[in-house]
Amino acid sequence: MEKKLQVRNLRISFHTTNGKVQAVRGIDFDLAKGETLAIVGESGSGKSVTSKAILGILAGNSIVESGEIIYDGKDLLKISEEDFHKIRGDKIAMIFQDPMSSLNPIVRIGRQLTEAMLLKGKARQRESRSNFNSYLKALNEAMAKSGKDPSDGERANVNCKKFDKFEFKHIELESAYNTAHEAAEEASDDISKIAFEMEKNAVGKDAADRINDIVRQSNASIHPYVVPESRKAEVKTLTGSLKRQFKKKDYGSALDSLRRIREILDEGREKPVPNFFRMGYYLCFSGQPLPDLPMEKLNDYLKEYLDKDFMLAFLEDAERAMRYSAGVRVENIRAAMEELTKSLEVYGRETLDRKECMDTLKQLGAAVGKTNDPLALVKDSLSNTFSSSLKGELDTYFHAIKNNGKILKKYEKEKRKYDAILAKGKKPGWELADAAVTDLEMIKGNIEHLIRRLLEHFQEILDAEKDRDYGSETVAAIDYLKENASGVVAKVTGEIAKHRAIKLMEEVGIAEPHKRYRQYPFEFSGGMRQRIVIAIALAADPDILICDEPTTALDVTIQSQILELINRLKEERKLSVIFITHDLGVVANMADRVAVMYAGKIVEYGTSEDIFYDSRHPYTWALLSSMPDLDTNEKLTAIPGTPPNMIYPPKGDAFAPRNRYAMQIDFERQPPMFRVSDTHYAATWLLHPDAPKVDPPKAITDRIARMNRRRQQAQEETC
Amino acid sequence: MRGKMSNQEPLLRVEHLCQYFKAGNFVTKAVDDVSFDIRKGEVFGLVGESGCGKTTTGRSIIKLYNITSGNIYFKGVRIAAGTQSYKDAIAAAKAEYAEKAKQPGADKAKLKSELNAVIREQNELIRSAKRDHKNCDRKLVTQIQMIFQDPIASLDPRMTVREIISEGLIIQGERDKKVIDEKVYEMLELVGLVREHASRYPHEFSGGQRQRIGVARSIIMNPDMIIADEPVSALDVSVQAQVINLLNDLREKFGLTILFIAHDLSVVKYFSDRIGVMYYGKMVELADSDELFAHPLHPYTRSLLSAIPLPDPIYEKSRKRIIYNPLAEHDYTTDKPVFREVRPGHFVQCNEAEYRKIQAELAKDA
Repeated sequence: MEKKLQVRNLRISFHTTNGKVQAVRGIDFDLAKGETLAIVGESGSGKSVTSKAILGILAGNSIVESGEIIYDGKDLLKISEEDFHKIRGDKIAMIFQDPMSSLNPIVRIGRQLTEAMLLKGKARQRESRSNFNSYLKALNEAMAKSGKDPSDGERANVNCKKFDKFEFKHIELESAYNTAHEAAEEASDDISKIAFEMEKNAVGKDAADRINDIVRQSNASIHPYVVPESRKAEVKTLTGSLKRQFKKKDYGSALDSLRRIREILDEGREKPVPNFFRMGYYLCFSGQPLPDLPMEKLNDYLKEYLDKDFMLAFLEDAERAMRYSAGVRVENIRAAMEELTKSLEVYGRETLDRKECMDTLKQLGAAVGKTNDPLALVKDSLSNTFSSSLKGELDTYFHAIKNNGKILKKYEKEKRKYDAILAKGKKPGWELADAAVTDLEMIKGNIEHLIRRLLEHFQEILDAEKDRDYGSETVAAIDYLKENASGVVAKVTGEIAKHRAIKLMEEVGIAEPHKRYRQYPFEFSGGMRQRIVIAIALAADPDILICDEPTTALDVTIQSQILELINRLKEERKLSVIFITHDLGVVANMADRVAVMYAGKIVEYGTSEDIFYDSRHPYTWALLSSMPDLDTNEKLTAIPGTPPNMIYPPKGDAFAPRNRYAMQIDFERQPPMFRVSDTHYAATWLLHPDAPKVDPPKAITDRIARMNRRRQQAQEETC
Repeated sequence: MRGKMSNQEPLLRVEHLCQYFKAGNFVTKAVDDVSFDIRKGEVFGLVGESGCGKTTTGRSIIKLYNITSGNIYFKGVRIAAGTQSYKDAIAAAKAEYAEKAKQPGADKAKLKSELNAVIREQNELIRSAKRDHKNCDRKLVTQIQMIFQDPIASLDPRMTVREIISEGLIIQGERDKKVIDEKVYEMLELVGLVREHASRYPHEFSGGQRQRIGVARSIIMNPDMIIADEPVSALDVSVQAQVINLLNDLREKFGLTILFIAHDLSVVKYFSDRIGVMYYGKMVELADSDELFAHPLHPYTRSLLSAIPLPDPIYEKSRKRIIYNPLAEHDYTTDKPVFREVRPGHFVQCNEAEYRKIQAELAKDA
């Protein structure tokens, strides 16, 4: 599965007046495409800090101590704010916990919804243009270089220019068709809704607005391949009489008109779709009008024309270019691997020399940078983040050499003071924090690990080179060009943005969106506000959606609707979702995988079945047994005490003081992640082979037994 | 745990409660004709989606609003009353008079005297309602206390815990510092905090501890009844259990009656003896909690119950939510619905046809 997001060894602290609060202490997880990962834990466990780090909106007093967050070949912890603008909201969006504080109270809902669309719309157009141009240029160059004789290069230039021209024609044709088709679809939907209300004699307050919308949409659906020009007059008269009838409240005849309009629209909607890509080429270069054929025949005819005249040759050239470019890359990778192997010696010395290290870093950066294939669609994240990661480690190393002495001196001074108080027989009013000395050997280990990991990665690429399918990759490249061309043409005007916003509002379940569009946030109830926030998050069509307790403030029906909504959008848009919550019922509904966090660490990690039916960590047990379900009658088992103060993180397992099953070792050493199964890991000493066998609390085993019984009953009933 | 202490004596009676809010020409009917009893010693759960009027009902009962119409009785004494229904009756009588006077051969003098009688009668009712509403016994009303939803927003950040908890006592005329301190310490210990906490400020506490302070503030007046407005929905799961256990202990200790407003149905089911379901300002169903969960009769209740998430992934992934669409479910064009008792202790908002249908269903089940 394609990994969308990778978080590695992330450590985040906050500077406060009382000391350094360690909020996140080394967590790792992956997020695959189209997957929901739930992060569960109490407040203060570091869930929200993690999500904020991914979005780059950590508070000013935060320090990212180590780690990497890799998205799309970039390390989000190291890119500049300028680059982050292109990702935040656009690629990664967030739904916040409190809808009131994430909406602007003095701006109308409509403007808040369309704001991002308009801004991002322009930015996307620019970006698509530059993507399209640079990719086509790279392709053109590779085509020319890979050619056997000069005529090949000549042909490549001509073909690429041609492609540029007719591709835009294609998108223009297609987007005009899409607009008309969508309009017809929406008008038809709206008609069904309002007709239902008229039949029930319960017409909503904003019906007049909606009727106007229907009229506008029906007129907008006039297009040669949807509702043809010949029926324009008919539509016009029907909509005119509809307006009059509605004004007079003559619902009987209005219903009649509505039905007739819908018939026309449905007929238009069900017509076969022409292939605009081929049509664009024909219109641009054949110099003749389209032949008068039925749609399927026309499509075949155009395909033949395009293939013969242009496409087959172009694809062949493109594939050759891909092969050539991959060949160049393999050579570059070999060179880079040599450099990397050499550099191992430089970074492996007893003490590192600053100048030498930095020079080597420069050379390595250049060599590794060359290994990027300009024609590869998926960027290689390891080689792209390599040099910034290496630089980060080196900076920490040389900074530590400078400062470790000072820190140690300070610590010794404090320790003397502390011991003096103890020696007097008094109890000190403060605690002695451990010296924050950086471990030089560990950093050197990290550097070596970085280099070795990249070497392994390169070797894997070289091994996989044989099995590459250039044919399908070429097709994917052409699709990429098409997509970007449509991005250039897709202009977002105020009108379109409003239309989309209203559609989004409908999609997230807001009644009377026309009226609501003009209202202020305070006029909405909590659930409605949260829907608006979701709509805003989706407005820019992101890849990854981070939901930070989106339903905590909502009631069950709305919660259920919003969860269904997020699930549906996830399916439709292939979103990856990070779902942060403390409600385990919600997790069961949403999650594919669950990570349970406590005191800045992931304590248990597994699929939702693993966590709910076979949990292993005492903290997970405590969470599960402290929530009542519909059959709970006995006293709830609350978790005693409070989470630890993260200025002085406990030496052993952080949960030990609140843990009924804690053993001596829990207070002394931190448990490693024990493997339960391939998907299921837990950090508790109870899983150590020497540990005594402990059963989960009765409340949980009872519940699991109950759930199994119910499921069996249900199965028997269906049988 | 449930059902031990309730008996039949009603402590609080709400009759035809209406609470309207005016914004310009637009009237929001937040609560519309809601009636229910709460018996002594029971926990009455009030559920429904946000904006359906649960909180407004609670706030109307402790007289944070002047209610529009209806009566609220506490221990048999009317503590709040609204006048809108009487005014409506006068307006209706006047309209009827105008209608009848228009007809040829109407005895205008007789009609007029009839109208005047109606107006006199209603005016008398209005006067008595206003009198009762204004002059109700404050000592009696202090026996109803409230716990608010958000422990951060409901505690004054500039007051110490001692000041917060003792404020009610001082307002009620207690001046002796020693008595106040003793009382505050007692309350703190009761809710699981310690004496030293009295001199601290709310921001020094965790969420669960803050909600405990809210609980301490409400029980210091020795109330008979507590209105808990979503006391746990802003808390973590683990802390939720602490607060629910605390409320349960207190209830057993003092025989408290609790109006428990919440939207987490698992918690309401766990905690309440009887449950009322509200939808758009109306009470649509009221029954014992086991009865309600076993035999939901109103389509909205069914939809609500189908939306409860459970910690069971396999069940969850196949769970189907029932969608409630009032337009498609009911036909109220001719026969308006009223709140009817369909079986002992089980009330449903329905019209005649639906009532017969429900009866037939119940007969078939039996």
